[in-house]
Amino acid sequence: MSGLSGEPPDMTGQTPEVSEPTPESTVPSVAARLALWQRSGGVITPILTALIAFLIGGLVVFATTGKDPVNTYKAIFKGTGLSWLSPVSIHWHLFYPAGIHWTGWDTTSPTALNLQQTLIVVTPLILTGLAVAFAFRCGLFNIGGNGQYTVGALVAVQFGVWFAGLPGPLHVIVAMLAATLAGAAWGGIAGFLKAATGAHEVITTIMLNWIALWVGSYLVGFNGPLQDPRAVSAPVTRPIADSAHLHVFWGNPLLQGLHVGFFIAVAMLFVYWIVLNRTTLGYEVRAVGFNAEAARYSGISVGRNFFLAMAISGAFAGLAGSIDILGWEFNLDLTVVQTVQIGFIGIAVALLGRNSAIGIFFSALLFGALLTGTSTRNLDPSVFQPQLAGNLTRIIQGLVVLFVGADLLIIYLWQARKKLRLPQRKAAEQA
Amino acid sequence: MADERTVLELRGITKQFPGVLANDHIDFDLRRGEVHALLGENGAGKSTLMNILYGLYHPDEGQILVKGEPVRFHSPKDAINRGIGMVHQHFMLIPVMTVAENIVLANEPTRAGVLLDTNAADRRVRELSRTFNFAIDPDARVESITVGQQQRVEILKALYRYADILILDEPTAVLTPQEANELFEILRTLTREGMSVIFITHKLNEVLEIADRITVVRRGKRIDTVDRQGATEEGLARMMVGREVLLRVEKPVSDPGDPLLTVDDLHVFDDRGLEAVRGVSFEVRGGEIVGIAGVDGNGQTELIDAITGLRKAASGRVSIAGRDVTGAAPATVLDRGVGHIPEDRQLRGLVLDFSLAENLALHDYDKPPDSRWGWLFPRQLIRRARELLTQFDVRGGGPQTRASALSGGNQQKVVLAREIGRGPSVLIAAQPTRGLDVGAIEFVHRRLVEARDNGKAVLLVSLELDEIISLSDRTLVFYEGEIVAQHGPDVTEDELGIEMTGAGRKVAAA
Amino acid sequence: MSVRVERLQAARTRATGASTIGTVGIGLGLLALFLALPPVKVRTAPLPVAIGILAIAAGIWAFTRGERRLGGGAVVSGVAGIGIALIVLQANATRLEGVFVWSALIAATLRYATPLTFAAIGGMFSERSGVVNIGLEGMMLTGAYFGAYGADVTGSWVGGLVIGLISGALLAFVHAIFTITLRADQIVTGTAINFLALGVTGYLYNQHYGNNGTPENLPAIPDVNLKFLSHIPPQGLGNFLYNSIGQLNLMVWLSLLLLPVSYVALFKTPIGLRIRSVGEHPKAADTVGIPVYRTRYAAVTLSGALAALGGVFLSIGFVNSFTENMTAGRGFIALAALIFGGWRPFGAFAAALLFGFSSALAARLPDLSASNTAAWPLLFQTLPYVLTLIAVAGVIGRSIPPAAIGRPYVKQ
Repeated sequence: MSGLSGEPPDMTGQTPEVSEPTPESTVPSVAARLALWQRSGGVITPILTALIAFLIGGLVVFATTGKDPVNTYKAIFKGTGLSWLSPVSIHWHLFYPAGIHWTGWDTTSPTALNLQQTLIVVTPLILTGLAVAFAFRCGLFNIGGNGQYTVGALVAVQFGVWFAGLPGPLHVIVAMLAATLAGAAWGGIAGFLKAATGAHEVITTIMLNWIALWVGSYLVGFNGPLQDPRAVSAPVTRPIADSAHLHVFWGNPLLQGLHVGFFIAVAMLFVYWIVLNRTTLGYEVRAVGFNAEAARYSGISVGRNFFLAMAISGAFAGLAGSIDILGWEFNLDLTVVQTVQIGFIGIAVALLGRNSAIGIFFSALLFGALLTGTSTRNLDPSVFQPQLAGNLTRIIQGLVVLFVGADLLIIYLWQARKKLRLPQRKAAEQA
Repeated sequence: MADERTVLELRGITKQFPGVLANDHIDFDLRRGEVHALLGENGAGKSTLMNILYGLYHPDEGQILVKGEPVRFHSPKDAINRGIGMVHQHFMLIPVMTVAENIVLANEPTRAGVLLDTNAADRRVRELSRTFNFAIDPDARVESITVGQQQRVEILKALYRYADILILDEPTAVLTPQEANELFEILRTLTREGMSVIFITHKLNEVLEIADRITVVRRGKRIDTVDRQGATEEGLARMMVGREVLLRVEKPVSDPGDPLLTVDDLHVFDDRGLEAVRGVSFEVRGGEIVGIAGVDGNGQTELIDAITGLRKAASGRVSIAGRDVTGAAPATVLDRGVGHIPEDRQLRGLVLDFSLAENLALHDYDKPPDSRWGWLFPRQLIRRARELLTQFDVRGGGPQTRASALSGGNQQKVVLAREIGRGPSVLIAAQPTRGLDVGAIEFVHRRLVEARDNGKAVLLVSLELDEIISLSDRTLVFYEGEIVAQHGPDVTEDELGIEMTGAGRKVAAA
Repeated sequence: MSVRVERLQAARTRATGASTIGTVGIGLGLLALFLALPPVKVRTAPLPVAIGILAIAAGIWAFTRGERRLGGGAVVSGVAGIGIALIVLQANATRLEGVFVWSALIAATLRYATPLTFAAIGGMFSERSGVVNIGLEGMMLTGAYFGAYGADVTGSWVGGLVIGLISGALLAFVHAIFTITLRADQIVTGTAINFLALGVTGYLYNQHYGNNGTPENLPAIPDVNLKFLSHIPPQGLGNFLYNSIGQLNLMVWLSLLLLPVSYVALFKTPIGLRIRSVGEHPKAADTVGIPVYRTRYAAVTLSGALAALGGVFLSIGFVNSFTENMTAGRGFIALAALIFGGWRPFGAFAAALLFGFSSALAARLPDLSASNTAAWPLLFQTLPYVLTLIAVAGVIGRSIPPAAIGRPYVKQ
């Protein structure tokens, strides 16, 4: 509305001046809210959120199947292999320990195998979580992790098939780099559209997901250009050359052992932190994420940062796709292309992890463990059916994301209450 | 004192907000057919009192009596049902809807109980307009009518609901002096018809012109209620403030040097595609403060946007110290030696979630010593922040405090520290003292004058005439995108007020 | 009259000449396309290409004169017309006939568009009241499952319809609680709703129907058989009409009925005015006594019910079964249709028809190639999504959402 001036200047010095922005003028971006939460809630709130989600999940289990949720969760936990990390095994009787014995760290036990499986899944989750988180830091919601992952996987497979003559490490690096760039391009499309036309990245990234799915289906499916000519009845690509395999450092390479991709993912956590807090790019991204208007007024190019943030976000997800291919899949299957969910889970990972590197690590660990623990391979069907468990995981993810949204408000209100008390102190401090 | 003429009485109204007692046992009464002014500074509690009367807030203590009957208002609907109407300071109108739709909203005439009867709505609006001589087109969209007309729509909203008590909250804040006079005429017509009006304001001159009685409120308490007869500006001011208020800034005579900011035949379009700046030319020399006076919405915002590169000018030239910066990106303009204190510090001036050090680095973070080849040095940021914070006497936190934790005045100091601390040759200040208390205002004014004395060219845009008059060496009056007058340091508010309406160039709209 | 009003009016008259050129451009592009298709089947390139170029030219002319929406649309229409015409020219003439059976295409278009229409109209109410509803996908999926389940359990499609509708409304109510009362971020909450719906429907489906899937004889929503159409002379026209609109499902007709009803409701009734006021300027609505929260709750819940209806049609009106994640992104396409259509019912429907047509075409295209196992028709499945990208990117002009959308309202 034109023609309105602001309030007349305050001359008493005693106005109940609330220094937070008025609800009508600005709504805190997701980045701002999650940052607020990080500062005020610390580690308790994410843990609490996860616990509540699990509680509700347990209620669902009980209500629908009549089974004991605690047993179900125990069975799931058994499949995760996380218990391997502790050298002691505690036998629980109700809620207190009844027996403790030393198990040590047997690197070839079934539990160890389960842990390898879990960490294999955690690896891409860290990366897709970082992807979503980086975009969030710039105030953008990247739901396109699936498509960016797929694009990265497609490129990695092809580069793995080509360049078979290259020495091992070089081949791997070339393939990963190409996949990362592909993911960056896929994410960058949405970023560019947002910067140039204001198109909402939620819609564009979702559309790009489906486009990637169908293009991938075309490429990898029957009679598609990438289909393995030797496997006429299977919609799958050629396997990548041996030189493109990521080195397996734990477990049997023939039985999907844990590969060095895990360390690459953990290294990316540091890269994420460094880029955001120690580079000018990260400074700009954070400024735009918190207050794009103020950033614009200071000369920061908001559009350029939207594009770069989405591109970097896509890069993380594309890298995830390549690591899975080079680490344990070694080829790309039509079913895999059509059932990619890892980008979506990355959203839950990022939100529960509050867009912070450490948070994302533990959050990825949690969701990765859930995925392995509920898989057909690891979950005892007599305790709980894996198909149900898979969906239970989705329900828990959904609940986590739902509650992240809501208890932000509680923290926000708590902060606002604290701020409203400030004027009495400030009045005493004023010049 | 209540008598048969009393239509409204407020007894002992008390309202506590966290940290502040907004209303402290206030008594107030309103007689039929009078204009009763509620006078007080910002934050004195006038708006709170009226929001309670209108049902937007609930009083902690006290009673409201309408025509002798005690009432409890749970929502504006209750107040409306009792004949109380309110015209808010920030209009409660929906821009994309028509005048008629806005007026009948929530009390729509219906056909067959389900459908909206637009004809009936139109008719009623036209009737009311005619009765009170308003000349409003019911089918016009609110976003396309003038501010003065929008205000009349707000008044019509109240009249449509058969209000006989009308509350006006700072109605002249958005009007030109001419439109304000028209408003006073309307109020006189309304009171002649038997309406009673409560007029909230902090402007003394208005009060003496229109009010029959005046109640002065200060810091939540009612100080006194006087008749217009015998009231004086000084007496009222003393009651309002309780002390002497000095607004004039002491400053030495300016000694301007070369022009550092030159604007040449600038044309700028606003967001709606209309020409907001129509061929403006002026220059600001080093060592002088040029003030731009004008009612909000006459193109000042677009002018500043074009100068600082936030908006592309359609034609014309902008030069800083002789170098052409027309059409350059904001970063380039700032690099050429321009400091910009934006209009809304929380929205545009600061990133509230950033620390003070990060905020202070908002322009120069990408240059050494703050960073090199894209690598940031946070300790350097903190070091420089510490210097600036001391220099500019910022209180409430250190370099790593979040900006949101500071008071408004200190936040503005941070913005000033950043802009002035960079040593620009041109300083642009857009409404730099909005929402600040006296101490902070004095600080800002002192710094602006200091910048001027250091040879900077200062361009000041403000909606407060007394600020413009007290600070400027030269004043330009902006009206509908053009400079319609220029003055030296000695100019009166009346002169500026008249020119701000474009008088002498065209007849003002009815 | 004020100078400001004069200037606005001048700007408006400048636009009208360009708008006719723009519309003509869109028509020309479509013409270029149709020339290559049956029944005209022009087999040489120059004619469609020439007309397509004219369309692009008209589009550019209109675009530069301020008619961005129509101008952009004409350019896209011209490009698409040339592109598709060229592709079609490569194909075998007889097989072309088999694919472009217009009556079947129209019927399929309407069928594909119906769930989009329901969800888009639902989304319209929610967004017009100021609440972004990304969860339309989840609400549609919920409706699909509970529609099938309800029909199975009650033995009638009416039961399925009612239960499906209620399930969608409940899910939307959850969305409303979190976004309106708890003031959570609307997009994050919507995404959570989608996850939840996927998980809950998948869980219940696996638990209840397990490996066998939904029963073969699931009660289905009946088709509306308009036999009389086939008797309309001449015979060709009668058959065409009967084949295209004579055997459509009841829900398709309901979706068409929904259009004028929702238009009147939103733009011609007091309730609609209030919903829109809450979405444009909630504070203003509040000060005249309109209950902002309650209005938004109602609008959001309604949106869930409508989206669920779209899902119910999918499961017991279209494919007669339920499979996990059967909505496959349709909820998001509906949202895009809504934006494309400017948050108005008929505009959203036009967009839904466009998307429906592209889906219908994509389903028939495999018949165009020599062997049944060619892979390239899969690429055509991307068409609706590409179109959405173009639409949302505002190449066809940017539409203006309700002013207060996406912002939680804080009542004092």
